[in-house]
Amino acid sequence: MSEQTITTEEAATEHETGGISIGRVGLYATLVGLVGFYLIPIESGLVTSIKTPTALQETFPFLPPAGSGITVEKWQIAFDYLAPGMVNSMLFTIPSTILCALLGSMAAYGLTLVDWRGQIAVLALFIAGIFVPYQAVIVPLFQFWSQYMQLGTRLSFLWGLPLLEPHYATILELIITHTAYGIPIVTLLFRSQYKTMSEEMIEAARLDGASVWRVYRRIVLPLSIPMFAVVFIFQFTQIWNEFLFSLTIIGSTNDPAASATLILSGLGQSLEGTDYPLRMAGAFITALPTLLVYVLFADKFAEGVQT
Amino acid sequence: MAETQLDDVRKVFTEDDGNEIVAVNDVSIDIEDGEFLVLVGPSGCGKSTTLRMIAGLESITDGEIRLDDRVINDLPAKERNIAMVFQSYALYPHMTVRENMAFGLEESTDLSDDEIATRVEETAEMMGIDPLLDRKPEELSGGQQQRVALGRAIVREPAVFLMDEPLSNLDAKLRAQMRTELQQLQEQLETTTVYVTHDQTEAMTMGDRIAILNDGELQQVGTPLECYHEPANAFVADFIGEPAMNFFDVTRRNADGDGAVLVGETLEYAVSNDITTAIGDRNELVLGVRPEDIDIQHSDGNPRRADGHTVPATVTVVEPTGDENIVYLDLGEDGSETAIVTIDGMSRIEAGDSVVAHIPEDAIHVFDGKTNEALHNRRVESSEPRAPNI
Amino acid sequence: MTDGGTTEERSTLRRWLDSDIVQSSPFWLPPFLLMGFFVYAAIGWNLLLSLTEYSGFGDPDYSNLGLHNYRAMLDDPGMWAATRNTFVLLVGFTVVCLIVGLLLALLLDREIRFSRSFRTIYLLPFALSFIVTAQFWRWMYNVNNGIVNQFIGLFGIGPYNWLGSPKLVLGSVIFALVWQFSGYTMIIYLAALRSIPNDQYEAARVDGASTVRMYWRVIVPQLRPAMVSATVTLVLFALKAFDFLYATFDGYRPRRGADILATKMVRESFGRSEWAYGSSIALMLFVLSLGVIAPYLYNQYKRGNL
Repeated sequence: MSEQTITTEEAATEHETGGISIGRVGLYATLVGLVGFYLIPIESGLVTSIKTPTALQETFPFLPPAGSGITVEKWQIAFDYLAPGMVNSMLFTIPSTILCALLGSMAAYGLTLVDWRGQIAVLALFIAGIFVPYQAVIVPLFQFWSQYMQLGTRLSFLWGLPLLEPHYATILELIITHTAYGIPIVTLLFRSQYKTMSEEMIEAARLDGASVWRVYRRIVLPLSIPMFAVVFIFQFTQIWNEFLFSLTIIGSTNDPAASATLILSGLGQSLEGTDYPLRMAGAFITALPTLLVYVLFADKFAEGVQT
Repeated sequence: MAETQLDDVRKVFTEDDGNEIVAVNDVSIDIEDGEFLVLVGPSGCGKSTTLRMIAGLESITDGEIRLDDRVINDLPAKERNIAMVFQSYALYPHMTVRENMAFGLEESTDLSDDEIATRVEETAEMMGIDPLLDRKPEELSGGQQQRVALGRAIVREPAVFLMDEPLSNLDAKLRAQMRTELQQLQEQLETTTVYVTHDQTEAMTMGDRIAILNDGELQQVGTPLECYHEPANAFVADFIGEPAMNFFDVTRRNADGDGAVLVGETLEYAVSNDITTAIGDRNELVLGVRPEDIDIQHSDGNPRRADGHTVPATVTVVEPTGDENIVYLDLGEDGSETAIVTIDGMSRIEAGDSVVAHIPEDAIHVFDGKTNEALHNRRVESSEPRAPNI
Repeated sequence: MTDGGTTEERSTLRRWLDSDIVQSSPFWLPPFLLMGFFVYAAIGWNLLLSLTEYSGFGDPDYSNLGLHNYRAMLDDPGMWAATRNTFVLLVGFTVVCLIVGLLLALLLDREIRFSRSFRTIYLLPFALSFIVTAQFWRWMYNVNNGIVNQFIGLFGIGPYNWLGSPKLVLGSVIFALVWQFSGYTMIIYLAALRSIPNDQYEAARVDGASTVRMYWRVIVPQLRPAMVSATVTLVLFALKAFDFLYATFDGYRPRRGADILATKMVRESFGRSEWAYGSSIALMLFVLSLGVIAPYLYNQYKRGNL
C-alpha cells in the first residue's frame, strides 16, 4: 500500500516518541477533533431531547442532564405526532425505492449492454435528469396531480375497500413522483456497474441462444444483486429525506398523508417559542430509519454517493 | 457440421466524426465442412471482426455469409447455431460449471432437463472436467476455465465453432498442450472450426488451412505448408515462419548470356532463366530467403567456389536454442545489410567470425518490389516436403 | 421470383424487429417515458406557465402568452437580493466544501487506523434529511444557550444572533451546510485518491519530494476530475437549497439576508399563489443549472465517461 511506504518513511524522518511520531499523534488528534465537530450537533440534539425544561435552562447544551432532569416525555409526544407520518413515509419510500431500482436497472441494461445508434443521446437525457432542480418542475407537477389527475376522485371506487383509505391517493402520487425522479440517478448507478461487465460474456450468452430479455433475466440481474443493495440503501435515504415534494404534493402537515419530514418541519411551533427538546426528539425519530440504514450499511451508502 | 462461405464480405465502421474505416475488405473464403481454418494476422487486421460477423455479433456491411448455402447475414446470433470460445472465456461468474454448460442448451433447444443433464455430463467427461461440475468459475485455474469454455461450446453440438484467441491467456507450456488437445478434439468431432489467432505458430500447427489477413484484406488462403513455401506475397512470407524470412531489396541487371543478376547493396545474385522469365521486365525486386536455407561456412576454412550465390559476412550474435543456433550476420564488407540464419545446434560459429553465406538458388523467393506480389517461389520437392521451421 | 417483394418486405420488418434498438426498447423506453414526462415535459410545461398570468385558484389561461413575468422580475427588488444571496451561497458553500472535503480526504488517505469509522462519521450528516439537520442547527445557533455562542463566549466574544442578523445569517447557513456536505466531497476525493496507483507515491518519494510537496505536485493535480464532478453537484445543490432554509425559518420566508432564488420561487408559487411568476423564477433556476450541467456532460461525453 502506498500509505504504508509513506508512513514508514515519515516515521523515520519525524521525531519519534516511543515508536509513534509526533506527526501521527497530531494527525489522530485532528481526526478526533473533527469527529467532535461532526457529532456535536447530533449529540447535543440527543441530550437536549431528554431534558426537562429546568434541566434545559441549567445544563450545558451538550451535556446530558442529571438524574432528575431526564424525561422521555418529549419523545412520547413527538412519537405521537410523527407515527402516522412515519407510516406514510414508509408507504411511499419503500415502493418507490423498489420501482426505481428495477426501472433504473432495466434502463441501464438497455442503454449499456445492448448497442445501438443514438444511445448516447438518450443516455444524456437520463443523466441530465439527475441534475434538474426540482423547482423547475414543481409547479407543473402540482398542477398535474391536483388539477388534472385528481387521483383521489378518480380512484374513489377503491376507498370503500378494506385497508384502503382516501389519502392513499396522495401516497400513490408520491410513489410515482419519487420513482420518476429517482430513475436518472439509479440508471447511472447501474450503468457504472454494467460498463465494467464483460462484453464477451454478454455475447457468449447471446450466442448461446438467449434473447435480450433472457440475458437480462439470467445473466445481468443475478450479477447486479450487490448494486441493488447499494441502490436500495441510497435511494431509501434519499426518498425518505426528501421534503419539497412532500410539502407541495401533500400540502399540509395536518393532511392524513403527511410524511415524517413534513410533520417534523412544523413540530413544536407555538406562540411561546420553539420547544427545542420536542424538536430534537422529533428529529431523531424522523431520522431513525435512515440512521439505522446508514449505520448498518455505511459502506454501501458511500458507494452509492461516489458514483 | 456445415460448410461456411464468405463471399466478398466487407465491414465498414463509421466513427462518431463520420470517418469511415474499412475493417474487412471484400474477403472471400470457402470453409469446407469439418475443416479447421485458422484466421491469422497482426492485430487490427480484421480477423476478429470477420469472426464476429460469422457469429452474428457484428453486422455485415456488404457481401454474403452462407451456412450450408443459406444466407445468414440477417440471422440473429442466437439463431445461427454457432458456438464461440472467447479469449477471456466469458464464463458466467454466478453459475457453476454445470450451469454454464447447460445454459446454451436451455436457451437454444427444447431438450428436457434430463437430456440436458446427460449431455452436460457426457461432454464434461470427455473434456475431463467432470470433477469440476459443481464449482464456480472463480474457483478454477486458467487452464480449467479454458476447458470449461470449450466444453460449453462443444456441449451445444453447433454447426460451427468459432474461437477467438482461446489460448492466449494460458502460459506457454499449457498453451502447447492445449494446442494439441484442441486439434485432436476437432478431428474427433469433425465440426467446422474457425480459429482466430495472431500467433503464426498456432496457425501453422493447428490449421487444415490458414487464411492470412492484413489491413482487412485477405492475403492468402492455403495449407500451412503452401503458405510457408509458396507465399502469395512478401507479407505472407514475412508473417509466416520464425525467425522471419530475410529480404533484400534488389534491382535486376541482365547478365551476359542466360539469366540475370539481382543487384542489392551487398548482394550480387545470379539467377537462371526460369526465374528471369518469372520476373519479366520488372526492375524493382525483393529477394527473399528463409533463415534455414542459407548455409554458412568459415571463410578461412575451405573457400567456397564463387558461383554468384555467395556473400561474405560477419557473425554479430549467436543465439543458441539447443537444437539449433540462430545466427545474426552483417553482410558484405561494410555490413550495411543483415541476415538471420539458423544452423545446426552443434555448429561452432561464434560472434566475430568471418563467414561466407551461401544462398542456394532453388530456395529463393522473388517478389515484386512495388506490389509485394510473389513472382517466383522456391522449389518444393512434392514427394518430400521440407519440414517448416517455425 | 414473383413474391420477391413480400419476402423483401418481411425481411426488412424482421430485420427491424431484430435490431438492437427495438429489442432493447422494452428495457429503457418505459423508464424513459416516465422520467421524460416528469422531467422534460414538466420543464416545457413550466416554460409555458411562466408566460401566462396564472395566479390564485383556478386554471391557467394559455391564450395570452407574454414575457411580462420576466419583465416583472427586473423590477422586483426581492429578486435582486435573492440572486445576490444565491451567488454568495453558491460560491461560499462550494469553495469551502471543496477545501474542507479535500483536507479530510488527504488526512484519511494516510494509513489511518479506523479510517472507515472516521469516514462513516464524517459522512453521517449527509445521510440525514435537511429537515432534521436544520433542527440541530437551530439549536446550535440558539442565541441564549446555543453551543456556538457558548463556544465563542469562552474567548469573550458574542453572543450573536446567528440566524436573526441579516449580516450573519447567510454565513451561518453556509457553515451548517458545509457541516452537512463536506463528508460528501471527502468521499468523492477519497475515491479518486484510492485510484491513484501506488507507484506514483513511491516514484515521488524516490524523487525526494517531501510529503507536502508530493501531495501538492503529484497527487492533488490528479484529483481534478473528482473536483469537477464534486463542484457540479455542490453548485447544483446550492442553487436549489430549499429544504434547509424552510425548516430553519419555519416557512416560506427566510430571515432577511437569507432569501435565495429557490426559496423565493417556492414562496411566490405555493405561499402567494403567484404560479406564473414562480414558474418564471423556476425557469431561471433551470437555465442556471443548465449552464453548469451542459458543459459538464459535454466534457464527460468527450472524455468517453458517459
